[in-house]
Amino acid sequence: MANTQSMERSDSLGGFPSIKTILALITGVMMLVDLYFIFMVAPTDSVLGHVQRVFYFHVPIAIVSFLAFFVVFIASLGYLMKRTSKWDAIAHASAEIGVVFVTLALLTGIIWARPVWNTWWTWEPRLTTTMILWLIYVAYLMVRSYAPTRSKGAIYAAVVGIIGFIDVPIVYYSVVWWRSIHPSPVVGPFAQADALDGTMALVLLFSLITFLFFFAYMVAERMELRNTEEALGRIRFTLRRRGR
Amino acid sequence: MLDFILLSTHLPSSNLPYLFAAFAVSWVVLFGYLFYVNRRQHEMKKEITRLQKVLDQTPEEE
Repeated sequence: MANTQSMERSDSLGGFPSIKTILALITGVMMLVDLYFIFMVAPTDSVLGHVQRVFYFHVPIAIVSFLAFFVVFIASLGYLMKRTSKWDAIAHASAEIGVVFVTLALLTGIIWARPVWNTWWTWEPRLTTTMILWLIYVAYLMVRSYAPTRSKGAIYAAVVGIIGFIDVPIVYYSVVWWRSIHPSPVVGPFAQADALDGTMALVLLFSLITFLFFFAYMVAERMELRNTEEALGRIRFTLRRRGR
Repeated sequence: MLDFILLSTHLPSSNLPYLFAAFAVSWVVLFGYLFYVNRRQHEMKKEITRLQKVLDQTPEEE
C-alpha cells in the first residue's frame, strides 16, 4: 500500500496543485498566446510568405532538442559518477523527449523545405548531421531496452549519452563550417545582429520560452511514469519472493 | 484575368497547406507522445492497485 500512497502524494502536496499541474497550465496558456503571436503579431515574410511562420516552431523545437541532449550529457556524467537512479531517470526522460523534439525538428524542416527549396530532403550538412543526431539517440534508447539488466542498460546508455553529445555542436556549427542551402544561425554565437526583424525576434523568443516550459512539463510526466514503473517493479518483486 | 490567376498562384499564401501541415504534425507528435505516457501511467497504476490487493492477501514470508 505504501507504493500507491507515495504515488498519490507525488500528484499533489496538501491540496496544492503539483509542479506538473502548474507546468501544464502555464504551458497551455503560453502555447495559446504563442499561436496568437505567430499568426496575428509576427509580420509575414516578404520573400517566403506565410510558410515562414513554421520557423517559430521549427527553431525552438530544434533548440529544445539540443537542451534535452545537454541534460542527457550532464545526467549521464552524474550517473557514472554517483550511480544513483535519480540521474539515470533524468537522462532517460530527457533522451526520450529529446528524440521526440529532434524528430519534430526534422519533420517540420522537411515540410518547410518542400515549398522553399523545392525538395523534401537533401543530404546537405545541417540535415545530415541532424539525422545522425536522431540515430544516435534512437540508439541510446535501444541500448537501454536491449541491455541484459537495467543497471547495465543505464551504464551503456550513459556512455552513449556522453559520446553522442559531440554531435550537437557539430549540428550547430555545420552551417558555418560547410556553407550550403540551409540558412545561417539566427540564434547563438554565429547569429548576425540583424538576422531577424525585431518583432520576429520577440515572437521567436516567446516561442522558445513556451517550448522550454513544454519540455519541463514532458520531463515531469516522463519521470512520474518512471516512478510508477519502479513501484510496479517493486510490487512484482515482492510477490515473486512470496511465491505468487 | 490571366494576370490575376498567374499572380494568385505565385502569392506566398499558396504555401498555406505546408504551414498547416507543419503545425498539425507538431501537435499530433507532441500530444501523441503525452497521450502514450498518460495511457501507460494509467495502465500501470491500475496494475499496481490490482497487485497490491493480491499482496495484501498473501501472507508475509518468514
